[in-house]
Amino acid sequence: MNHRLEARLVEIILYGSVAAVLVFFYLPIFTLIAFSFHEGRYLILPFDGFSFDWYVALLDNANAEVALINSTVIALISMVASTILGTMAGIVAVRYRFRGKKSFLGLSAAPLVFPQLLLGIVLLLWFSVLGRWLDFNNGVTTAIIGHVVYITPFAMIIVAVQVFNFDSTLEDAARDCGADNWAVYRYVTIPLLWPGIFSAAIFAFLLSWGNFYLTYSLAGSTRTLPTFVFSGIATGSSPLYPAMATVVFIPGILLVMLADALRRRAQRGGI
Amino acid sequence: MASEVDRSWRDPALIVKALPSVLLQTSCFLAPLLMTFVLTFQKTKSFQLVWAWNLDVWTDIFTKPHYWTILIHTLVMATICTVLCVLLSLPIAYALATRMKRFENHIKILITFAFLTDATLKTFGWVLFLDTHGAANYLLEQVGFPPGTIAILFTDWATMLGMVYSLLAFTIFTIYLSIDQIDRSLILAAYDAGAGKFRAFWEVTLPLCRPGIWAGVVLVFLLAVGVFLEPKVLGGGKSPMSAELIRQTFETRVNWPLGAALTFVLMVVAVFFVLLFNRVYSLKRAMVTG
Repeated sequence: MNHRLEARLVEIILYGSVAAVLVFFYLPIFTLIAFSFHEGRYLILPFDGFSFDWYVALLDNANAEVALINSTVIALISMVASTILGTMAGIVAVRYRFRGKKSFLGLSAAPLVFPQLLLGIVLLLWFSVLGRWLDFNNGVTTAIIGHVVYITPFAMIIVAVQVFNFDSTLEDAARDCGADNWAVYRYVTIPLLWPGIFSAAIFAFLLSWGNFYLTYSLAGSTRTLPTFVFSGIATGSSPLYPAMATVVFIPGILLVMLADALRRRAQRGGI
Repeated sequence: MASEVDRSWRDPALIVKALPSVLLQTSCFLAPLLMTFVLTFQKTKSFQLVWAWNLDVWTDIFTKPHYWTILIHTLVMATICTVLCVLLSLPIAYALATRMKRFENHIKILITFAFLTDATLKTFGWVLFLDTHGAANYLLEQVGFPPGTIAILFTDWATMLGMVYSLLAFTIFTIYLSIDQIDRSLILAAYDAGAGKFRAFWEVTLPLCRPGIWAGVVLVFLLAVGVFLEPKVLGGGKSPMSAELIRQTFETRVNWPLGAALTFVLMVVAVFFVLLFNRVYSLKRAMVTG
């Protein structure tokens, strides 16, 4: 084949594939958003008209409100817990050499490649047996534990990447200047790792906020936004559910934009 | 770059940082797994778990072909999904790593956001898009196609679409990361030696990004084996996959030992397949390099 023709073909394939994948990724998301402004009672086209009625209906829906509160509480607690655990594990994974390191890495990364539904079921069995023994029911707490088990490995890997590029002589310098361990962490290590910790936290929040499988298995009768939407998946259901789904997107969009803005500011600052 | 420091398990710095994760994953991952295994040797009587050591569940599994048909269906679907994900990700990851430097970050953020969005919502979006009266058919009708042209909802095709949709981001990112690390001068050298774009990709880039492809294959395959939403919602539950079978066994039939055993079979078979791919792959490479 003629090289120039080949080169042109390659450019078309490359740019075309990226454009196609973006369309592919956003097709269902935009369909859902479009349907949330549907005026009619049923989720079929053609559009009867544009309206915010279903968002208003959402405000009046007590179940939706409870689901929103549950989702927020679970996501915030899971975010804090898994970011702290993941940061510590990430530092251990990159900085320390010790006996049993391979087992440590395997154990702390394993939930990453474990199908979520099966993790949920295995934990459900565990909590049911423990619950019968220690007398507790599945609810928000068990859901949070499940989320933390699943999300900590993600946080660990994101922080580990940051630790990898970290210049450890800075810590030694601080120590030489008389800083104790705590001061080194407070003023050197954590500020330098902050971009990684921050993205880990955003990732953690969104993974927990949008989690369906684990919540579905572990939350007992507690509803979160995803499980609430799941109960309404059908074309026969009302546009209330797409409206709810659109509400679920909002924190994601805001957080991802915030992360990008901070990253750019950090780049301008030359870090 | 960070340097590694030797630490003993008596060092408080290591204990404080490593122990919480170890405790969490031992008590809420390893222990539940072991218990699940123990449960497979128990029995159920009128929806109640009875502690009686026996092999009933295992003989049931190994004598009924029903479970194995579903398992094979699951493995076939997971394999097709993995192959599709890798093939689709190659040009995308290559383009992201070598072209469009200006938009690279924006595109990465768009992909990340779509990936982090809750699976139920995206699946719901697909239902609304693919339905007989949904968005896709409506648009096609407007340009003159007969009504209901796209009728893949509630078939295996829709399940596959949903699986590729939810797992594609993994291969895009793993392959992107390894292409990004390739020394560009190697590719330029191939062009100087007279190779065309395709040949240079085939002989230089592809072999060098194998670690990324491999990481993506393992992730996608293991996760594809466990999908449940896609076959249930998009596939209409007509040809169930293993995860759905397991969920039904727990929820509808309330047979914990059987569900636990099916969970184990699925995990062991999936891991076995990954090791098998790896073995075949390294044998092939050993033969090629002599």
